[in-house]
Amino acid sequence: MIDYKSALDKVLLNVQKPSRYVGGEVGAVYKNVEPVRGESLLRFAFCFPDTYEIGMSHLGLKILYSLINSVPHYWCERVFMPADDMYEAMIENNIKLYGLESLEPIADFDFIGFTLQYELTYTNILAMLDLAGVPLLAKDRHYPIVIGGGPCACNPEPMAAFFDLFVIGEGEEVTLELLKLYEKFKARNAEKEEFLRAAANIKGVYVPSLYDVKYNDDKSVKEIVPIDSAPMPITKRIVEDLDKAYFPTNFVVPFCDIVHDRAVVEVLRGCFRGCRFCQAGFIYRPYREKTKETIVSQLSRLCDNTGYDEASLTSLSTSDYSDIEGLLSQICEYTNKNNIGLSLPSLRVDKFSSQVLEKIKSVRKSGLTFAPEAGTQRLRDVINKNVTEADLEKSCRIAFSGGYSSVKLYFMVGLPTETLEDIEGIITLIENVIEVYYDVGKTLQKAEKAKTKIRPVSVSVSLSTFVPKPFTPFEFEPQVSKEEFDARRRHLLSLLNNKKVRISWSDYDESFLEAVLARGDRRLSDVILRAYKLGCRADAWGEHFKPNLWEQAFADCGVEPQFYALRKREYDEIMPWAHLDMGLKKEFLIKENKRGLLNE
Amino acid sequence: MNNHQEFTDVRVFFSKTGIAKYISHLDLYRTVQRALKRAKLPVWETQGFNRHIYLTFALPLSLGTQGCRESMDMRLVSPLPFDEMSLRLNNALCNSIRILETATPIMKHTMIKKAEYKIADINIETFGEFLNSEKIEVEKKTKKKKTLIDLKPFIEGVKLNDTDITLTLPAGNDFNINPVLLIEGYKNFMSEKERALVAEGSLTRTRVLTADGEEFR
Ligand code: SF4
Repeated sequence: MIDYKSALDKVLLNVQKPSRYVGGEVGAVYKNVEPVRGESLLRFAFCFPDTYEIGMSHLGLKILYSLINSVPHYWCERVFMPADDMYEAMIENNIKLYGLESLEPIADFDFIGFTLQYELTYTNILAMLDLAGVPLLAKDRHYPIVIGGGPCACNPEPMAAFFDLFVIGEGEEVTLELLKLYEKFKARNAEKEEFLRAAANIKGVYVPSLYDVKYNDDKSVKEIVPIDSAPMPITKRIVEDLDKAYFPTNFVVPFCDIVHDRAVVEVLRGCFRGCRFCQAGFIYRPYREKTKETIVSQLSRLCDNTGYDEASLTSLSTSDYSDIEGLLSQICEYTNKNNIGLSLPSLRVDKFSSQVLEKIKSVRKSGLTFAPEAGTQRLRDVINKNVTEADLEKSCRIAFSGGYSSVKLYFMVGLPTETLEDIEGIITLIENVIEVYYDVGKTLQKAEKAKTKIRPVSVSVSLSTFVPKPFTPFEFEPQVSKEEFDARRRHLLSLLNNKKVRISWSDYDESFLEAVLARGDRRLSDVILRAYKLGCRADAWGEHFKPNLWEQAFADCGVEPQFYALRKREYDEIMPWAHLDMGLKKEFLIKENKRGLLNE
Repeated sequence: MNNHQEFTDVRVFFSKTGIAKYISHLDLYRTVQRALKRAKLPVWETQGFNRHIYLTFALPLSLGTQGCRESMDMRLVSPLPFDEMSLRLNNALCNSIRILETATPIMKHTMIKKAEYKIADINIETFGEFLNSEKIEVEKKTKKKKTLIDLKPFIEGVKLNDTDITLTLPAGNDFNINPVLLIEGYKNFMSEKERALVAEGSLTRTRVLTADGEEFR
């Protein structure tokens, strides 16, 4: 091992921010690799297919890292995708991908686990396996067992060829069950296949090699057949009681700056709002809350143990917490006393009484954000986004009166049934927000009889392309074509003549690839492999994304991407993820689809 | 707000070795701040809008260089035995940064004039030859410009040991020579062949000194 570490030593001073590659942070867990009482360590590499800065900000990683390490003879280490300079240096110096704690190659570990956060990180997963020196295809591999989880695992089919198994749903309970089972098989040197067959019987474990997919002549899925009486369907795992679910009392505190460098506690899971485009809203059901007492004690314990002076709450929709006022007053009591800043991104201010607003004044204003998602009430009804223009105006009034002078608005382009009128609605909405701002400003001026000038408002508008996702009522809908998208974009830009508005667009090609991979089937594994071999990697890192190479990969494999992204799917079509049960009945999705699109 | 709080200045000596050499100065600053908070030590915070723990380092260590006995100053707002301070801070820090001692500051930072370095992982013989050259010219980058500087007159107390070399260079706020410059000069001095064979050289600051060569306290 010595040689290996000195090889690392040689490259680290020539790369940016080397502290990302050596571990050793406060809170990092170290274990003795020598067998203790005959029990050898089970080694788990938790791989996050993005940079250290992004991965270390991810709560799921922190939870599973601590959870696995809470078992004395399990050692979980962190692994991230190295930045370009380090990536190249590792290849050049033949340094295999290693765990940040032991600095030992993960190819020798028992498990390599990836979190599937976003479709555009799929090529990073291949790059990391390759860097680790393990065969990319599951069928060419013996050990380590490569497992996946996370939101994209609700349709992991495009990645099926590379993984031995996927964990469907929430990982807090099933992970330890899985590792425990593995120990038995490891003890008697069992074949991987034998272990996988046994693992498939754990609720929430999906072993893709135990299912055979048959296709129709029109290329759609005909049938998904379990092999060797594997369970059908595979049911997602959920944690019943969030208060009892495992939650870490400590985080690894990085040396360098990361995206979210703070203590954070999840306050609730799921979302009851049911916006029809929102996958997270559907797959994380049911809605569950932690009690105030649990949240406050978890947060204070984390701050004490980490030394963080910034804390935050997270969930899909924190404003929906039933006693949010009570919760915030209790938290502020702790944070104010301990000089800890509380930041609450995307909290809806219209929900609060002025007393509470006063109390949480110390809360760091992280900017005001609204997500109307669509420009007209008609389209907002279609997508079931229950925000009215009056709500938006009310919130803006409260916020502007409270001193905010910048707003960020989120919209989607290409939603089902969208017309140019809805695009025009976006402009009207933006203009109304600006009007409200100056109206509030003038009222304040009058009240204070001050001559102070009103600060100019800054509005930034972020427009993303709608991506239809599995397990949503819009899973049947086509994505908008590039031509159509461009037309709508041009229309919007032609109507906009306000310098105070900054517009940012998501890249169509990226959203298109996301749409293909999100609703793809197993035949896409070949394409992803081909794209990686052609040089695609880190597709989510802007400048790295090479749509022409992807196009070539699709062509080389004889796969038409439009088939996956732009096609309207019939209600009776068998979806590639039909064997996975996320707790949502297909009839329900169809009913919701009709309610949205046909007003039925 | 009470700006006239009573406090005691303390100087904390620490080592920064192993992987800690990859921690930049800014990151070290943040790491120690958090450790102080974790350890719940009664340290003084600057007052005002952006409150933060008062903390200054005598002589920043550049990325890649280890330090055997570095120091940082802070203020205690209530009495605390120095040993306890060291112990609690050690428990709150990572293994590669170790507190050696907490003490009352004796000298001012401005008294720092020199520092002793240990250079390991090099070919001692070649390095000796290199140090014997008439001139050791390297490029020194300041904020805007690059200047050519001859290091030779500034190198003192060279000792060739079995596996490493120790020497002394000017250090401090007025005039500082980063030993990394010396390594760069050495790399230029080596022939192509040697460069490929020989490791990068590892640097450790062993002592921080006054003009008289007395250890900074
Ligand atoms: S968009 Fe937000 S509010 Fe709507 S379902 Fe998703 S998480 Fe809930």
